[in-house]
Amino acid sequence: MKFDLSILAKHVPFLLEGAWLTFQTCLLAVLGSLILGTLVAAARTSASPQLNRLSAVYVDIFRNIPFIVQLFFFYFGLPEIGIYIDAFTTGVIAMSIAGGAFTSDVIRSGILAIDPGIIEAAQVSGLKKSTIFRKIVMPIALRASVRPLGSVFINLILTSSILSTITLNELTGSAKIVASQTFRPFEVYFVLLVAYAALTWFVSILIGMLHRYLNRNQAEGAV
Amino acid sequence: MRYDQFTPYDLVLLLQGLGVSLALFVSTTLIGLVIGTLWAVIRFYRVPVLAQMVAFLAELLKNSPVLVQLFLVFFGLPAFLKINVTPTEAAVITLSGNSAAFIYVIAVSAIESVGRDQIEAARVFGLTRWQILRRVIAPQAAAFAIGPLTGLLVNQLQVTSLISVIGVMDLTKVGNILNLRTLKPFVVWTVVGALYYLAAKLVAHAGARFEKRLRAHTAWKGL
Repeated sequence: MKFDLSILAKHVPFLLEGAWLTFQTCLLAVLGSLILGTLVAAARTSASPQLNRLSAVYVDIFRNIPFIVQLFFFYFGLPEIGIYIDAFTTGVIAMSIAGGAFTSDVIRSGILAIDPGIIEAAQVSGLKKSTIFRKIVMPIALRASVRPLGSVFINLILTSSILSTITLNELTGSAKIVASQTFRPFEVYFVLLVAYAALTWFVSILIGMLHRYLNRNQAEGAV
Repeated sequence: MRYDQFTPYDLVLLLQGLGVSLALFVSTTLIGLVIGTLWAVIRFYRVPVLAQMVAFLAELLKNSPVLVQLFLVFFGLPAFLKINVTPTEAAVITLSGNSAAFIYVIAVSAIESVGRDQIEAARVFGLTRWQILRRVIAPQAAAFAIGPLTGLLVNQLQVTSLISVIGVMDLTKVGNILNLRTLKPFVVWTVVGALYYLAAKLVAHAGARFEKRLRAHTAWKGL
């Protein structure tokens, strides 16, 4: 069979619709996992042993169970207990929870890398615990972990393709429809593969720029 | 008559699914190790053209969703090349390629972790290129690579769950069948998740033990 991309031309608007849905899910999931990850990282590095253990268990569970199993757990399980939400919301929630586990690990290592002298100085200056965390610990930890956070988020973009299994027609889901309409699966999925690779490559460039911008006042070679 | 209750046979079904998942995981890891190491060696010898092609291919495989790769092999290749691809074959091809791309990155950094001066010293002693690779670089690179490799394998084990989408009877597919029959999503997906969790812990444990053995000669033995 000839390799012919021109048959895809009239399906591009439909695919772009899917891409827009992917963008929305990814943006919400990144925000959700960032918030959840920060909270869990705070619990993980806190002085309370209960919070420590609880957050460690959360991270351990959600890092070691496949995302598709977690997704089915929420998608089939939530209606069982009387919560009826659509596939989009379920997908965003599942991605935020799974992403939160990875994000919290990254932020935690950022927090642990802070020089204890800085925190002691803040304590000696009489700052409240919450102020130290918000104004001193978090800025340093987040700034140092832009790159690893970026790779977690790129992984999240790739993971979003799994949402097509719960009837959400994001980029992969709409490509599946196009493939079955045109009977040209090879062209469709090949283009999709290249599109995802280009997308993640673009995101990684943005992250590199953000990293350089946030660390512009740092000494050369530091952090 | 509907069998909507759990039967003892379901346990056998779950174990069978676990067996399929683990068998595919082990076989694709071994194939991936061979291919990934081969690619790294190609890069080590700086084979022209081939080295660049390998780097590009690995980048493409790393930066696109496994689900899309799976669809490309399972739906795309048969339509394009007019061949038959069974779900299991498609799963083996995709997962091996994906593992190989990640193992390639680990192998390259492991080879680079061996100091240049050691290679120069070996060359001065008159060792051939193959001897340098086999006797000087390989043992040290293996000890360096085993840590990141264990992390990768825990991840790859979870990636195998995606092959259920194209109809391989792995653990996730069995969970899907049981879920649809019994309509008890919480029980089914908790059990499936627990089985994956145990398998992941087993892989991590085995990796840690293997690392200890590989590093035994550099460990501090006391005076």
